[in-house]
Amino acid sequence: MDQHSVEVIVETLKEQGIDLAVTLPEEPTYSLTEAMREDPFFQAVTVAGEGNGLAFCAGAALGGRRVVFVTGIAGLLVGSWALSQMGMVYGAPILILASYRGDFGDHSGIPGSQLLMFKQVAEPLLGALRVPYRVVNQKATLKRMIQEGSFACQDYSHPIVLLLSGEVLW
Amino acid sequence: MKRFDCLKILASLVDEHMLAVTSLSTNTPFWFNVRPQGPNFFALNMGLCLPFALGLSVAFPKRKIIAIDSDGSLMNDSSSLITVADVNPPNLAAFVMDNGSYAHMGSTFTTRKTDLAKMAQGAGIANASTVKTLEEFSSAAKQAMENVGPTLIVAKVERDAGRVSADRSRTSGRPMREWFMDALRRHPDYKAGR
Repeated sequence: MDQHSVEVIVETLKEQGIDLAVTLPEEPTYSLTEAMREDPFFQAVTVAGEGNGLAFCAGAALGGRRVVFVTGIAGLLVGSWALSQMGMVYGAPILILASYRGDFGDHSGIPGSQLLMFKQVAEPLLGALRVPYRVVNQKATLKRMIQEGSFACQDYSHPIVLLLSGEVLW
Repeated sequence: MKRFDCLKILASLVDEHMLAVTSLSTNTPFWFNVRPQGPNFFALNMGLCLPFALGLSVAFPKRKIIAIDSDGSLMNDSSSLITVADVNPPNLAAFVMDNGSYAHMGSTFTTRKTDLAKMAQGAGIANASTVKTLEEFSSAAKQAMENVGPTLIVAKVERDAGRVSADRSRTSGRPMREWFMDALRRHPDYKAGR
């Protein structure tokens, strides 16, 4: 993720009052999570597993904190148990920014069989878990999509996923 | 040592503003019977109790957060111990009711080689211990309420002989969640959208 995308995301999260940033570091979003870690506005938390990360986010969010969870498709797969519970069962308002590994434009060098798997499961997984999502692949729409995603997350009281791809991510 | 007796002692130490979280086990009906009012989030499924409580601990940093977990649940995602240690909340007290059994379906690993308190210590939770008598539990629970920093107490309890009933509308799913949110909205420290 380049500096421009990082700056837009950080600025917009601040505008939304989202000051708790949770992640298990992954390469495509590393520059973003490092920027949040170095910014005193954010309480940055690294978790040891995506499942406990999502449960942690849910506790904080229902407790009144504004939360962003940064992960990738693999992280969503690992955390799908927690996401099903915290979304469908408890309606925790968690904004999730996920690198869309395997989407067209991913030239990261990960074996193609892995990329194809991510591409094949990502959106059906979110559909099965009844998690509303959008693919955000244009820098021109990045700010607006974070604003709208944050609003919907609170309004629905439900997790929302923005799948970052295209020129926003690569 | 009986789980219900432990939870009665724990309830006597909890004030109206402390938040409590229980795992999906007999922890839920037992805790409902000893602390039916106040901010309780009941019946979190496998692996989710401790990290959910950790999330509440950063939302309510001035209040003690009580996690009442169970051995099978904690082992389902023991990496949450690492996350707790790293966040290092000053206000989290976790109680793991270890009956060495998956309900009535056979023994867990804690009856063989696994020591959850040592796992917590290895993860970086310095205040982690195992208690086997009510006197030890009472003393450890009182200490946990005073500790600054995360505390984890593994309570070796008997398998529960009978069931205790609890109002399902208060202890499961969305209705429980709404009871919890209603209690939070009346909590003096709650402020949405911080």
